[in-house]
Amino acid sequence: MQVSLNWLQTHLDLSAYTTAQLSDLLTFAGIEVEGIEEKGVSSDKVVVAQIQSFEQHPNADKLSVCQVDDGSGSLRQIVCGAKNFKAGDKVPLALPGAVLPGGFEIKEGKLRGVDSNGMMCSGKELGIGEDTGGLWILEADLPAGKPIKEIVASDTLFDLEITPNRSDLLSHLGLARELAALTGLPLKGERDHVKTSSKTHAARADEITIEATDGCPYYTARIIKGVKVGPSPAWLKARLESIGLRPINNIVDITNYVMMEMGQSLHAFDLDKLSGGIVVRRAAEGEKLLALDGLEYSLLGEDLVIADSQRALAIAGVMGGEATGVVEGTTSILLESAYFTPSGVRRTSRRLGLHSDSSYRFERGIDPLQVQGGSDLAVKLILTIAGGEAGETLRIAGEAPSLVGEVELDEIRTHRLLGMPDLPADEAHGILEKLGLIKKAATREKSRWAIPSYRLDLQRSVDLVEEIARVVGLDRVPSKFTASFSQGDATDRHYDHAMQLRQTLANRGYHEAQTLRLVSTPQIDDALGNPLGFGGAAALKNPLSEDHTTLRPSIVPGLLASAALNIRQGASRLRLFEVGRVFLKLPNGQVREEERLAILLSGPVSPSSWHGRDTKAADVYDLRGVVESLPGVSALEIKSLKDGGAFLLHSELKSGNRVLGWIAQLHPARARQIDARHPVYVVELLLSALRQGSAGPAKFTDLPRFPAMTRDVAFELPADVSNAKVSAFFSGIKEPLLMKSELFDIFTDPTGARLPKDRKSSAWTLTYRASDKTLETAEVDAAHARILAALQKALPVTIR
Amino acid sequence: MLSQLDSLKTEALAALETLSDEAALEAFRIDYLGKKGKLTALSAGMRDVPVDLKKEVGAKLNEVRDAITGGLATRQEAMQAAKDASAVAGIDITLPGRPGQGIGSLHPLTQIRDLAVRTLRRMGFTLAEGPEIETEWHCFDALNTPADHPARNESDTFYMPDGKLLRTHTSSVQIRTMESAKALPVRVIAPGAAYRRDEIDATHLSVFNQIEALYVDADVSLADLKGTLEFFFREVFGPNTAVRFRPHFFPFTEPSFEIDVKIEAKGKEARWMEIAGCGMVDPAVFAEISRKRGDSLFDPDKVTGFAFGMGLDRLAMTLHGISDIRHLIENDVRFLQQF
Repeated sequence: MQVSLNWLQTHLDLSAYTTAQLSDLLTFAGIEVEGIEEKGVSSDKVVVAQIQSFEQHPNADKLSVCQVDDGSGSLRQIVCGAKNFKAGDKVPLALPGAVLPGGFEIKEGKLRGVDSNGMMCSGKELGIGEDTGGLWILEADLPAGKPIKEIVASDTLFDLEITPNRSDLLSHLGLARELAALTGLPLKGERDHVKTSSKTHAARADEITIEATDGCPYYTARIIKGVKVGPSPAWLKARLESIGLRPINNIVDITNYVMMEMGQSLHAFDLDKLSGGIVVRRAAEGEKLLALDGLEYSLLGEDLVIADSQRALAIAGVMGGEATGVVEGTTSILLESAYFTPSGVRRTSRRLGLHSDSSYRFERGIDPLQVQGGSDLAVKLILTIAGGEAGETLRIAGEAPSLVGEVELDEIRTHRLLGMPDLPADEAHGILEKLGLIKKAATREKSRWAIPSYRLDLQRSVDLVEEIARVVGLDRVPSKFTASFSQGDATDRHYDHAMQLRQTLANRGYHEAQTLRLVSTPQIDDALGNPLGFGGAAALKNPLSEDHTTLRPSIVPGLLASAALNIRQGASRLRLFEVGRVFLKLPNGQVREEERLAILLSGPVSPSSWHGRDTKAADVYDLRGVVESLPGVSALEIKSLKDGGAFLLHSELKSGNRVLGWIAQLHPARARQIDARHPVYVVELLLSALRQGSAGPAKFTDLPRFPAMTRDVAFELPADVSNAKVSAFFSGIKEPLLMKSELFDIFTDPTGARLPKDRKSSAWTLTYRASDKTLETAEVDAAHARILAALQKALPVTIR
Repeated sequence: MLSQLDSLKTEALAALETLSDEAALEAFRIDYLGKKGKLTALSAGMRDVPVDLKKEVGAKLNEVRDAITGGLATRQEAMQAAKDASAVAGIDITLPGRPGQGIGSLHPLTQIRDLAVRTLRRMGFTLAEGPEIETEWHCFDALNTPADHPARNESDTFYMPDGKLLRTHTSSVQIRTMESAKALPVRVIAPGAAYRRDEIDATHLSVFNQIEALYVDADVSLADLKGTLEFFFREVFGPNTAVRFRPHFFPFTEPSFEIDVKIEAKGKEARWMEIAGCGMVDPAVFAEISRKRGDSLFDPDKVTGFAFGMGLDRLAMTLHGISDIRHLIENDVRFLQQF
């Protein structure tokens, strides 16, 4: 909300406060100051000056050299570019040392070789008014030397963020009331205009009928005839313009003024365009209304309208209708001042996407007791400014709802909640009293307080504690710190495990990424690791854009997008990983949230350096090696899955019966789409499965006491027999002396010269050891022979 | 004999000077000191030395042997020293190191989150978590948010087709924790993602990261909240960090505050940055939890608590001087490797 300091000053004298002090005062009262704008000049060094004479500048066609009287007694020479003056005119003159809006400081100097000792100004240059195309010509009777700030008051505008609970601060009077409470400064008399002085009468049914009392419990109208609609007087225009409102005509301006002055939103109807009395009713389903913003709105049965006997005239509390608005030529008006229920106004305004200063106030809640006062103030101003004659009484339908009551303050609980056992009750009570609360009763432990009608937010004891805390300020609350032992649970261990994974990967040269959990529908095709029973990705009901329609079912799509971005930036060596949540829709429609780790690998094994450039591109074994290095991974097994979509080599990673995740190479066709220069490999792992592998402390195995002997064996076998089968043979064989089997070479010859193309050679080192003695060579040879014989039986191998 | 010994010594020491490798030294040793060596041959002549001269010749013999052995040892040491020195010849220690697998990095958000988590754990908080797809009750109702609060709008919050929503803050974890708590105190932190239906630009993401804290016990006060947060921010931003609390409004705490931290940036004027929101848990929240639980563990007349929450993205940006929030989700390696 825009607030003018000058306007505020009509309610209390804030001249003892600097802008910065006021800003702090507001800030620490819980009113956020989002911006401050200084308008006009506050400097003494901008004064009235009279132009005595001027002549053409010798070196510049567009400049004049002027002799001006600045009131000092001697003439001052100023070079000026404006043309709209004549000798004898009075204009604003900024003397050397003056600082103009925008921080521009005036200095003595030369313009095209001629001395110029100041600057004559336009209104715009002084932050006052619009550009009029030249100097600001002042009234002729102003004395030279008089500071401009004494003629046109400067103003300071505060852009304030009012929290939704403080609807009472949405007006200058409301803010003034708050500042008076905080500073102890007295409010000036204008506070009185919330009280009504008008005579009233209960409206007859043909004057006002409220059909929907739940949406509008209280409605008043005043008739004024013989008004003359026209432009507002300068002071009113200036008030509205100062806070960014556009003047329209005197009647509309007055209603806006009253709203910004005291928070009561009013509406003026052109009485001659109404047929019959006012009816406050629900709209007919589909009823249309052309509003003052020029748009036609289609209403629903839940919307509240102000109608006459024929049609809807206004959307209650939100906006008036075009047809019955006050325009040039209007002579009679009906001035509405009412209380509309917040939830109704909010619902309608939001559904229509129609937000006005009026709806903003009604949906936060207004003080029902200001309804009459607002009407009175507007009537007074209309009669003064637009003339006419007001109906003798205010028509009233319904009654002002009572929204506040009495609230109890418990001293002991207050002290305990604030952590301020020494806060004197007098001080706490003093704060409440300054804020307009009235003490109804008090004992040593408890007091009862009547809440002012505008403080709709004070309903419970804790609301009073908040007021006390707010005004006392947190500076005076002691800083206390108590720690206690807390038992961690699985969440703590999960966090530590995930950090350990991250650290391991970072240490291995991988960069941790963080991609958005929302992905586009096409990106779902890049998902890796859709387990059995996966029912698809979880789409949002109301996505904001096509790029983010769905909760990711896998981290890989995000990593691929990041890879693509890095490739576009020229990177060819990619090492990325991400730990985070994925979302899997189950066949029953529920969505399971699951923590996963995904890794993406592409490009040279090492970064290039003077030790070597363009080392060979990483392959799937590099990625598998990284997986095997992760905490919780041991005895990794791989089961090929059906390839398809975005992936080749698509395989499931297992350890025993646990599925750890999935590994794959990005399909070259997909890799080309992101301009990858090297094969791209991805893996996605389940954190829950990894955690199972690292549960509990490691168990120590005694170190061998006797030496081991090794035997190497190489054999040929068909190329399509997987290594897993050979490995399974060695680990499955029952040979008590065999401790370890290790693959040390695989040889194939694509030319077929040294080995047929469909054959491969596999070479292993077998380690033999007994736990109770040093083995004899003969014992090892015998065991080795038994193993080779068994190998030849089990697999189609030829020992080399 | 004496003169023979003298000339052998002179000859041997002169020969030593000319030797340039280990093989030559070994040949020299054999030539003079070996079984058939020149000195060995001469010492065999001791037998024929007259008794009265034996003492004198014996002494000479020892002198010559020591001289040759000593000279040989000196030469051997010198040669080894020269060889050891040449082992590092040609190494330019100023050349860059071998990069190995390259240097990886943790995402700045992970680093800041872990800093926050480590700090708060030392202060006695443990971790809590909850689902990101939440019920409206956990995200809004239980947090005392009015039924027609704008945050519930479909224009501001992502909804799922079944009526659940993507949590708009990690505060829902407060509710989850209190719902299932077995005893007091409840003292948890919950780092996690939250969602708001915002267009992505330099200062907004639709998915962002927060950390939430909740402490509930019989007698938790605003003083505890203040002390805890001051300690926390000084741990994160440094011991001289200025922290200020501005009164604010949140539906689920009362009183409520926003917290500013004074950030000093090089060459710039120090300024207050809004970092977090906090407050004392609103009794209405305890009342709703009690209703749901059907017991009195969180009786609003008996317990008090504080809660605070902050945006980690914002914190990371402030701490590292990152100007555009989108850097945090684009994962440009040139960005990532700076942390």
